[in-house]
Amino acid sequence: MKVIVNLFKKMTYKQIVWYTIILLFFVSSVFFVYHNHSFYERPIVEVIEIELGDSTEMIDMHENKDRLYTQQIVAEIKNGDHKGKLIHLTNEYSISGAYDQEYHIGNELFVSIDTKKKESTDLIGTIMDVKRDKYILLVAWVFIFTLLFVGKKQGLFSIISLAVNAVLLSYALDVYLNTSGISLLWICSISVILFTVISLLLVNGFNEKTYAAIVATLLGTFVSLFITYLVMWITAEKGLRYEEMQFLTRPYREVFMAGLFIGSLGAVMDVAITMSSSIFGLYEKDHNIPVKALKASGMEIGKDIMGTMTNILFFAYISGSIPMLILYLKNNSPLIFTLSMNLSLEMARALAGGIGIVMTIPIGLYTTIFFVNRKRAR
Amino acid sequence: MMNVLLWMAAILLILMILIGGDKGKRSFIAIFLNFGVIFFTIFIMTIPKVDPIILTLIASTVISCINLFYINEVNNKTITAFISTIITVVILLLFILIVTESAMIQGFGAEEAEELSVFSLYIGVDFTKIAASVIIMSTIGAITDTAIAISSPMREMFHHYPSISRKELFAFGISIGKDILGTSTNTLFFAFFGGYLALLIWFKDLSYTLEEIVNSKIFSAEIITIFCAGIGVALIIPITAWINSYFLIKQRVKNKIINKDT
Repeated sequence: MKVIVNLFKKMTYKQIVWYTIILLFFVSSVFFVYHNHSFYERPIVEVIEIELGDSTEMIDMHENKDRLYTQQIVAEIKNGDHKGKLIHLTNEYSISGAYDQEYHIGNELFVSIDTKKKESTDLIGTIMDVKRDKYILLVAWVFIFTLLFVGKKQGLFSIISLAVNAVLLSYALDVYLNTSGISLLWICSISVILFTVISLLLVNGFNEKTYAAIVATLLGTFVSLFITYLVMWITAEKGLRYEEMQFLTRPYREVFMAGLFIGSLGAVMDVAITMSSSIFGLYEKDHNIPVKALKASGMEIGKDIMGTMTNILFFAYISGSIPMLILYLKNNSPLIFTLSMNLSLEMARALAGGIGIVMTIPIGLYTTIFFVNRKRAR
Repeated sequence: MMNVLLWMAAILLILMILIGGDKGKRSFIAIFLNFGVIFFTIFIMTIPKVDPIILTLIASTVISCINLFYINEVNNKTITAFISTIITVVILLLFILIVTESAMIQGFGAEEAEELSVFSLYIGVDFTKIAASVIIMSTIGAITDTAIAISSPMREMFHHYPSISRKELFAFGISIGKDILGTSTNTLFFAFFGGYLALLIWFKDLSYTLEEIVNSKIFSAEIITIFCAGIGVALIIPITAWINSYFLIKQRVKNKIINKDT
């Protein structure tokens, strides 16, 4: 108790206000997401009773063994005209759960109610999907609390930067979809400039370091995009398997290039800001430091970060394909076919990002030195 | 030989050697070693009896060894970074496992149904655990990167001011961490944004309502990946700062005793 009291005594008035506001947001949003059923048009039910039916052993044509179960579910409808009534549902699921799911008491599901059979008092329906909004919200709060707890002000800026960039991306896509005849790449180029300026200003504030980093980021990203274009043009895009690109409603090449463009931006920004901060740091310690020394130190720093930065992109891109690769392999698809189908685009993205990262090291170095010299001249 | 990937890999290799010299070459080889590890992991994951979680832990250990000990070298700072990485991965994995199980984001979504129709889906592997593994693997690169980025200046600080207290050293580690938090999270966010661009356009083109998007399996899985990646990158900061300050001070105490003896 004493510890807690002391903790409160230590906090300033401003801090207490902040914590209270965040706590209020947290409590009210969690309360809302657990009681928002009436806002949904689709019927939502809560599972209250489960009876496990038969199970059957499954062996598919590739000798994979699995087990299928049937659940008889009784659930309570939480919204709409039938609110409060019970509904009977049937669920079939497998142990592996690639496309199905075992349900537990307390789960909330979207269902469609079968209105044809009205002779019995209980309703019958089919399960459509799971209500996932509350889980997203809870994970989002864990994310927010972790970042605020560890990073304080910088954590807050990261959260703001994520939110602003997400909204900006969504808006840019709206503009693209609603205007005919405008290329996605153009939209993305403009967005990339905005993303860079906003993120770097949020991360690093208004100063010379940031301006140098912005210039270096933009140069680095466009150079890497240009190299990628050149390679694709020379090789006639041989080896890229667009067939397996998912969720396509638009020309595939444009979507792929735009994704590649935005995807490497974060890493390039990271390299640019690291280069400019450290070189400006050296200059601020000793205003008479020769350009040669700056170059040598800059290259050393660049060497240190390029491997890990390329790795970050590499893992972020490749990992997403793991479930699909397993599915292919378990269905006896030939190895080379599986890899080239599922990984060619991800590899191209990771490599393009890597080229961007490495190119940004000298670009960032010379841009920062230019800014340093300009400051010196003044 | 006129393959896009080969060309780009060659360009990357040349650039890395030109700019990074020997270290550049090692960084390039590390990428391919990592690719080998991921690929080998996937291969073993297809065996239903193997637990994907344990496999992920082993894979993360090997990957951090490559990223820390091969690209850099085995020394005090990479060892503390390694320990911090493993601790963070274990904590994060437990959290992610709970999340993937309750949010039911494993396997494939309704949007992929058409593509999946040619495959048998009853393949006996545990897709829930695989989903957790995917999230950890997407973040492992960023986690090791942050660990080494904090560990190395902390060691420098200790080297320059050997009498520094543990509390001050810890605070220094945290302040370094805060500075890189923003850029590390940005790197991951944009990588994911780029990857999910097609999906976002798809949702908008097929005029999904907001509630449909938020509750769909694919979108949930991706947004949860972004959040978990952010949590991982933030979590490694205090862990690395603590481990480093603990070991450095312990080492100093040990050295003092040795000095007294002689």
